[in-house]
Amino acid sequence: MMENVEAVEPLPPIAAARWRKLSTSLPTVLWNIGVLVAVLVIWQLMTIVIASRFFPGPLAIVQSFVELAENGDTGGHTLWEHSWASLYRVLVGFGLAVILGVPLGLLMGLYPVIYARTRAVLEPFRFIPPIAWIPLAIIFFSGLARFAFLIFLGAFFPIFTNSAVGVARVEPIHRKVAMVYGASKLWILLHVVIPTVLPDILGGMRVALGAAWLTIVAAELAGGISLGLGRMMTNYAELVQIPPIIVGMLIIGAIGFLMNEALLLTERYLFRWRWQVKL
Amino acid sequence: MSAQATSQTAAPALRAQESAKVAATDVSHRFGNFLVHDRLRFSVQENEFLCICGPSGCGKTTLLDMLAGILMPSQGRILIDGKPVDPKRDNISFVFQEPSTFPWLTVWDNIATGLRIKKTPAAEVRRKVEEILDLVGLHGFEKHYPHQISGGMKQRVAIARAFATDADVILMDEPFVSLDQPTRERMQREVLQIWEHRRRTVIFVTHNLEEAVFLGDRIIILSAKPARIVADVPVPITRPRDPLAAEFTQLRARCAGVLHELHTSPGDRRSQTAA
Repeated sequence: MMENVEAVEPLPPIAAARWRKLSTSLPTVLWNIGVLVAVLVIWQLMTIVIASRFFPGPLAIVQSFVELAENGDTGGHTLWEHSWASLYRVLVGFGLAVILGVPLGLLMGLYPVIYARTRAVLEPFRFIPPIAWIPLAIIFFSGLARFAFLIFLGAFFPIFTNSAVGVARVEPIHRKVAMVYGASKLWILLHVVIPTVLPDILGGMRVALGAAWLTIVAAELAGGISLGLGRMMTNYAELVQIPPIIVGMLIIGAIGFLMNEALLLTERYLFRWRWQVKL
Repeated sequence: MSAQATSQTAAPALRAQESAKVAATDVSHRFGNFLVHDRLRFSVQENEFLCICGPSGCGKTTLLDMLAGILMPSQGRILIDGKPVDPKRDNISFVFQEPSTFPWLTVWDNIATGLRIKKTPAAEVRRKVEEILDLVGLHGFEKHYPHQISGGMKQRVAIARAFATDADVILMDEPFVSLDQPTRERMQREVLQIWEHRRRTVIFVTHNLEEAVFLGDRIIILSAKPARIVADVPVPITRPRDPLAAEFTQLRARCAGVLHELHTSPGDRRSQTAA
């Protein structure tokens, strides 16, 4: 008997289940903690051998973190102000990319002829990295607008392309069911097309968030502002102080990780009707 | 020759076209230059259970799409209550051959889909879904998603969705073809039971003659492409029908004879009038 395999499966259910079991089992968790502690201890011990201000150990980084969090940097801005400044810019640019990318993507997916006829204009933009836009953004924009623009460029295409491609996954039979009962085009869009494409949209959003986060740090490194994690790191580079730079790097990693987890949780909740959530 | 055969069998249908629930008036359909259906003329009375049989690839699914009003025939018209079929106005349901439940909706919401498209008030949706859940025996599975239930249950959800809307016309496209034999037989009995509970006009397509004789008030047999109606056989056996009874096996054999004829001598259709 043919079983209906719904939607896209990034991994066959059995392989995914095996991986999930492996990744959450107690020995695996203990191994990870053990390896992490071992690396930190070895690192700290190495700083005793190589005593240099260019080679700080984990303790020096923790010290720097506490200092930045409590007292702030040389300009008096705390780590949280810097983080929020960067996060806020990302959310604005990312939000714009979602607001424009999803409807435009769906439009292209529903009417492939539009995409086919505008490809020559759209496609080259996709291959200009957002970082390559920084010089123009510096000339034309300042403040939030500059960052929102650059992040938008980085986040738009993953969302746009995933939305467009996802429409092809709409099963003709599901459209037919709706049509037989006399459903309008709008009903089919809202109740058939969007539920089908939503996993792809969320997947695109996760990729876009990665791209946005990458772009913001690069854009802030370019300067012109006093707040932002990238700015903070550049400041300390000029002062040749390594621990605060590493604190900045770790915070960037942590925020990116948390945002990705938040989207994964959203996916797990929204797509509980699927066999398996993307890993 | 073939025209004579079809006109003989279609003659009573022609008289009935005016008052019929569903009528096909010389419907022809072609894909490009390829003729799929050749002047099909038949009608279905209100509350009648019609089975359509034919060799594989005779365009049965295309015919159902036209009956549902989601495909326009190249020539001729499909009438419901004497007016051209329109899925927005007419109450039509469709049980498809392939799994057609929405994977992102629970069993309950799947069954409610047709009612919701028809903008039925929420209280009535609740009442009708609860009622049909009883009838198809899906109580306790309301909150399950399709991937959590078996293929047979998914098809029961699709059948429940079709019967929940109180459709005037229910179209069924080989709905049990992917099920194993015991499930299939149980589902056939269930469909009859539901149909007897809430009388509806049913058009049931199958290539299984036993199924057709078991279910139908009448059986229309189509030829291979281009499909023509080659026989229109009433089934005068009282229900519940016993597939082992003599009258059942005889009728089944008669229909099989017609189908067999189609395979062996597609040119000569005169002998079918005897069938």
